[in-house]
Amino acid sequence: MPLRLCAAVWAGKTVAALSRMLGYRGSSLPGHVALRIYSGTLKALARRARKGVVLVTGTNGKTTTNNMIAQVLTGAGHSVIINREGANMLPGIATAFVRGTGVNPAYAFDYAVLEVDEASFPRMVEQVKPDLVVVTNFFRDQLDRYGELDKTISFIREALRKLPRTRLVLNADDPLVAQLGRIGLKTGYFGLAPHGRVLDTSGASREARFCPLCGMNLHYSFYHYSQLGLYECTGCGFTRPDPELQGWEAVSGIEETTCRVALHGQDYRLALPTQGFYNLYNALAAFCAGSTLGLDPEMVVQNLRHYRPETGRLQHFRHHGRPLYLNLVKNPAGFNESLAILLAARGSKDVYIAINDNAADGRDISWLWDVDFELLADPNLGIARFLCSGQRAEEMAVRLKYAGVPPGRIKAEPKIENTVRDMLEGRTDAAYLLATYTALWPTEKALSALTDGK
Amino acid sequence: MMLAIYHLYPDLLNLYGDRGNIIAFRRRCEWRGIPVQVREINLGERIDFSDADFLFFGGGSDREQDLMAEDLADRKDNLRKAFEDGLVTLAICGGYQLLGRYYRTLSGQVIPGLNLLDFYTLAGTTRLIGNVAVEIPLPGRMVRVSGFENHSGQTFLGEIKPFGRVLSGHGNNGSDATEGVRYKNVFCSYMHGPLLPKNPALTDYFIQLALERRGRDGFLAPLDNGFEEAANRVMLSRLKVL
Repeated sequence: MPLRLCAAVWAGKTVAALSRMLGYRGSSLPGHVALRIYSGTLKALARRARKGVVLVTGTNGKTTTNNMIAQVLTGAGHSVIINREGANMLPGIATAFVRGTGVNPAYAFDYAVLEVDEASFPRMVEQVKPDLVVVTNFFRDQLDRYGELDKTISFIREALRKLPRTRLVLNADDPLVAQLGRIGLKTGYFGLAPHGRVLDTSGASREARFCPLCGMNLHYSFYHYSQLGLYECTGCGFTRPDPELQGWEAVSGIEETTCRVALHGQDYRLALPTQGFYNLYNALAAFCAGSTLGLDPEMVVQNLRHYRPETGRLQHFRHHGRPLYLNLVKNPAGFNESLAILLAARGSKDVYIAINDNAADGRDISWLWDVDFELLADPNLGIARFLCSGQRAEEMAVRLKYAGVPPGRIKAEPKIENTVRDMLEGRTDAAYLLATYTALWPTEKALSALTDGK
Repeated sequence: MMLAIYHLYPDLLNLYGDRGNIIAFRRRCEWRGIPVQVREINLGERIDFSDADFLFFGGGSDREQDLMAEDLADRKDNLRKAFEDGLVTLAICGGYQLLGRYYRTLSGQVIPGLNLLDFYTLAGTTRLIGNVAVEIPLPGRMVRVSGFENHSGQTFLGEIKPFGRVLSGHGNNGSDATEGVRYKNVFCSYMHGPLLPKNPALTDYFIQLALERRGRDGFLAPLDNGFEEAANRVMLSRLKVL
């Protein structure tokens, strides 16, 4: 082991220990330090994966899909390194390796399972050659940081072209993702058959209108949500590939989401202990990845049944018996899916929305105007109060007011802890809390401190 | 009388929550009992711009702006006539650039605009991104508005007035402190945010101009702007211009 790698790992580990002692989460700093000392740290440590490196990228569902893949791999007895906290740029990923490995090179592991920020993907694969790349979906997200979506996708496409031995797992229902199957790499697709909730039209129609390959109009038979659905190009004939792994008879309930899965002529029953239709996509992606890596499908299903959401991925809390659900929101597609969950829930509820505009949230918050808050104006939904918080609380209140929510039901208080306290005093059957990335941790912290826990 | 909002190419040009401008104009009419109707205009649709009371152009990516320019090219005269006649228009970012003389790319290629207003745009090497505060003259008073800009083109004005003066941020080009353009009732700006919801004085001014153009009394019943003003204040004070 080169001395500089040794020093980098040691220094990274020291920083990680120190920041834990000081009460910081320290999800990127140790990696920063290690990379600064030795820029080849990532490359060298990733080579210690005995069986392979799995990268998960895309706009939404990266963290959940990544955690699910790690769960099915560890459930099958493999040792796994994972960047758990959603720290998905190079320093965050280096942190995962520094923490998960020792200075001694004999300290190896079976798999590295890493979620990678879309914009960081090309630089990441220069360092780490993945055996398997999973792409969840592509939505417009935080344009101020990434430039436009088309560009991001084309960078990923070019990066993949340089990886002839990498296998792909792609979402067949998203034309922006499925187009990557044309690169010629060995590809497995996952998808979802029509179910009770398919739509004839889609709000986020811009991405869905034109073929990513030839630019002609795309024709849709139906949409799952956003541009996900059954599509066919009127120009070049590009169409949804037949997925080898397909979910069907999907049902999204309050405590559980279920579907049947067809894989290689067999029928499996998938049940997830979480709400939200979009989580099925994450599970199908993980299932497809597991099957590609040679895992027994029955064992994959068993392990997914016990999946526990991470912080802010529809996490449950209880306060005096009242259920509280916390979910991360970061772009219109994901926000609309979060709204779908609370719209489907019976009973009275409070809604808490915390919007920050730090770099990790996206400094431009105008995407809030692309979220379908108009749906919340329906007076029969049983929503008692809308509590807006975070650095842009007032702006969120403006958005709700213009969506048609009566201003008397809206409150704006930038201080997160105060707003959480206020929310906890509510008398509704349940409360739904939605927060952007940097508003999530303080919200979670306040909830953990003030409630009976999970 | 019904005020007609024409939203140009909502499928193509809806970056950065631009539709918030339409929502704000519509709501503030509705809250005062002014009948209003939103018409979404898509590519190839034949319309007479003089039938509109409020015309909105949003921003888009390059490919989409080319499609829009092509579609509008043969209706330029109709649009010019409506502008001269006082049609209230808001054009943001890409829609703004399109109304000018040309856009010159980094490689020196000159892409002609609709040439309706006297300004041109040069591609820049760095994007001008961030929160922005602008002082805008309205009849009898100055208002301070805030928004978010994100553009690589730098726009330079000819014989035409700017929309406002930059207090914080980049504005048209980052060098001359101008923001946007105003010609008659045509307002152009790089401010997303979107612009109208948290700057109600501006929205109301547009509604008033639209009513007066139809020969109506421009008096607007006052509304409670508590949340809007608070949201604007948060940004103005962060930018230290309050």
